[in-house]
Amino acid sequence: MTRRPDKGEVEQLTKEFLVESQEGLDRMESCLTELELHPDDGELVSEIFRTVHTIKGTTGFLGFTRTQALAHAGENLLGALRDKRLKVNSRLIDGLLKLMDGLRAILTLIAATGTEGARSEDDDSELIAHLAQLKTGDSKLAKVSKSPPKTSAMEQPLPPPLKGALADTKAVEETISVTATSGSGALLSEPSVRVDVEVLNQMMNQVGELVLTRNQILRSAPGAKNFSELARRLDSVTVELRETVMRARMQPVGHLFSKFPRMVRDLGVTCGRRVRLEFEGSETGLDKSLLEAIRDPLTHTVRNAVDHGIEPPSERVRVGKPVEGVVRMRAFHHCGAVIIEVIDDGAGISTEVVLAKAIERGLVTPEEAATMSQRDVLQLLFVAGFSTAKEITCISGRGVGLDVVRNNMERVGGRVELESRVGSGTTVRMRVPLTLAIVPALVVYSGGASFALPQSTLAELVYVPEHEAEQVVERIGTTEVFRLRERLLPLVWLDRLLGLKQIPHVDGVGFYIAVMESEGCRFGLAVNDLKAPEEIVVKPLSEELREIGIYSGATVLGDGTLALILDVAAVGARAGVRPVAEDDAKTDELAKATPSNASQIRLDNSMVIYEIAKHGVAEGENVERMAMPLSAVERIESVPLDQIEYASGRPVLQYCGDLIPLVDEGGVLRELRANAETAASNRLDSEKIARASGREIAHSRGAMATVLICMRPEARGLRRVGMVVRRVLDVSAGTLLDKNAAACPEQLAMVKKRVTMVHDEFSRQAALAPMENLREVA
Amino acid sequence: MSGSASVPTDACESASICSIRVAGRLFGIDTLQIREVLGTTVPQLVPLAPQYIAGVVPYHGEVLTTVSFRALLGLSEHAGKNCVLVIGGKEDKEPFGLMVDSVGGVVLMERNALQENPSGLDARSQELFDGAYRMPSGLMVHLDPHRLRPSRLAQSEMFGRLKQERHGGQK
Repeated sequence: MTRRPDKGEVEQLTKEFLVESQEGLDRMESCLTELELHPDDGELVSEIFRTVHTIKGTTGFLGFTRTQALAHAGENLLGALRDKRLKVNSRLIDGLLKLMDGLRAILTLIAATGTEGARSEDDDSELIAHLAQLKTGDSKLAKVSKSPPKTSAMEQPLPPPLKGALADTKAVEETISVTATSGSGALLSEPSVRVDVEVLNQMMNQVGELVLTRNQILRSAPGAKNFSELARRLDSVTVELRETVMRARMQPVGHLFSKFPRMVRDLGVTCGRRVRLEFEGSETGLDKSLLEAIRDPLTHTVRNAVDHGIEPPSERVRVGKPVEGVVRMRAFHHCGAVIIEVIDDGAGISTEVVLAKAIERGLVTPEEAATMSQRDVLQLLFVAGFSTAKEITCISGRGVGLDVVRNNMERVGGRVELESRVGSGTTVRMRVPLTLAIVPALVVYSGGASFALPQSTLAELVYVPEHEAEQVVERIGTTEVFRLRERLLPLVWLDRLLGLKQIPHVDGVGFYIAVMESEGCRFGLAVNDLKAPEEIVVKPLSEELREIGIYSGATVLGDGTLALILDVAAVGARAGVRPVAEDDAKTDELAKATPSNASQIRLDNSMVIYEIAKHGVAEGENVERMAMPLSAVERIESVPLDQIEYASGRPVLQYCGDLIPLVDEGGVLRELRANAETAASNRLDSEKIARASGREIAHSRGAMATVLICMRPEARGLRRVGMVVRRVLDVSAGTLLDKNAAACPEQLAMVKKRVTMVHDEFSRQAALAPMENLREVA
Repeated sequence: MSGSASVPTDACESASICSIRVAGRLFGIDTLQIREVLGTTVPQLVPLAPQYIAGVVPYHGEVLTTVSFRALLGLSEHAGKNCVLVIGGKEDKEPFGLMVDSVGGVVLMERNALQENPSGLDARSQELFDGAYRMPSGLMVHLDPHRLRPSRLAQSEMFGRLKQERHGGQK
């Protein structure tokens, strides 16, 4: 023990000590907040004691006397606590938290400068005195802790500068800012990560496997028979290796969560709230870099929940809620992403207040406000500088909350959603991708080059056939806009924006519009062609190319060529697209659309509009528009006429191993057959809607029938029904009109400003036998 | 910056120079500065990038920014095949690509045979060239790769200004 370690050794040991102590202090932090809830838990005290003891021991060895002295004082206090000579109370916890902050501050200093600091402000004597006082004072007289300590001859007057010993608001704020900004540990833990040896062994095995496979491939002759087998093996080894490496980079979100009990505790004191923090799914793994990336958004969100969400205790009692508010942090895996929710049971967000504020700030007009859905209203909260807080507090309310959260999340390919119910609370849901290095993307082709668009920014894809291009693309001034379901989208031509050569027009070839959504901007990106969606590996670009500002990286595609990854928000900004909230009023006005269907396309009131033919009526008048709730339509299929079979005179279709009855209300099948028989190679437009969100229009020649495959809710047995229609016109929002039986027995709706008959038997008469039911209508 | 060719040291008197050709002219780069010769490669164009950037090429899992030497000389693009050199010594953290017309053989030169740029040289060449060697067949202009580094070019007034001009001239 007398041997002095040499300099290099000391450096190495110091590094290890810093990382270890940081982990220890993180544990101590969560233990302390836990201890406050369970004051009798001896295990917790022992754990804290061990942490402080280890720090004391190691610092003594390394010669950090200042840390050692502080840790020693803490250890004394904790020893008394462990031996049950002291009782846990909030003052004691405060003191221990101070101890932790003090230790952490010194560790940060050591990490930055290599020394403990010798300036006058680096003096811990006050804190040490306080810790000693806590120990002696409490052990002598347990009562002291309850009432403010009285000045006695033995004790000095309570050291006033002791930060936050009493719940002095200002001091607590300071500590909050310290814990929040220093990110406690981000500085120290960043360059190293702890990996399970098991995972490392696995990785090594897989690398070995990779080398073997490579050897075999190198040795095999070109065109070898077993090539496909080797390729498969290479594929599986790669996938396994990738998963293992990702696993090694994964850290439980609990690491991040563990910072919050302390923050919420201090916040609660400052804002006068009683808050309990609950965790769920702390073990959910997330890539280390992402964990760092969501730290700030999560901090913002939790602050909001405590400051804005949870009501003051008096208010909670008044509305009959438990005095203690609950903020729940939940993490779980869902669809290849990690969802992190911050749920509070507070007052919720009042849409009226938000709207009033939005009108006051000129974001929306009162008329628009009257027609906005709750979801649209909540969306306003993400606009920069928007805050509904009555007064600006030190914690939140400056209006730089949610927009920062959203932008931070989008930067890492994530999303934020907000749900709120007045009186019962708010949920902020963050969707985080599993990794930053590999992202799903759509590769598009424009002006002779390939570009990758991250799927997270892609809302939908639209193919514009050549003959429709004139109609769907309109001009307002110099801007081109695209009309998508009665909503005008600014259209950005990628090749023109980037100054690429424009591909000469080929007859009969249309173009694609990728509808992009990022950082509140929504626009259509016109490209020449789409390639397959791919999982791309993101490679950073050099500084000079990053400076251009519209590429977030590059990737090597499956065919070995490179594609640049577009930063969608920057592309929008470069093309002059403004965020939607500001833009809405203008585009809606330009679209001259009725407010009710201008901005709210939702599944529940969206309608599929289609045409059916009424036979027996003269040619030209035989078309009738009808609509059906989108929720009832499962798929829209183009079916070759000869695949439609007949069973006892009724048309049926084999569909996905099911035999489904077809309903031919307007005699479309007969019309089609007649056309086919007269050998007229009629081209029939048929459209295909893959899903409510994505729309793809396909052309087909020859006799094809368009069939809406409908689901009957509630009905058992024969559930699917195919509706034969002439063609599908559009999917649009509609408003049901009040039923006026005298004027018209059918349910009518306003869809795209036209009266349209609604085929709504699907929801109304589910109990009846399906065939009869539909016959009646026909 | 170890092994920089711009600081000739007495300890190492001869240098092996890789000869390259651009528009019929002969240039040379110290082989210590060349990591690899990629052969005929077509860099992926980066729209809106400065004119002297030919694009990006994949290299060992990285994406290398590639400088077009022709563009630096103010010449139009080569009609035939191009050749990309990966520039950057072993300890260089930021290698980059240099696109030239073709790569020739390696010649051994005495370092002190390097003659400085003549004072009458135009500003552009003065900026790019690092003297010349006399060869039996004529002059071989010596290039210091650090002067061709994209990060340095971006800061130089002469080339940084040329941004945004390269539109439509790809491939």
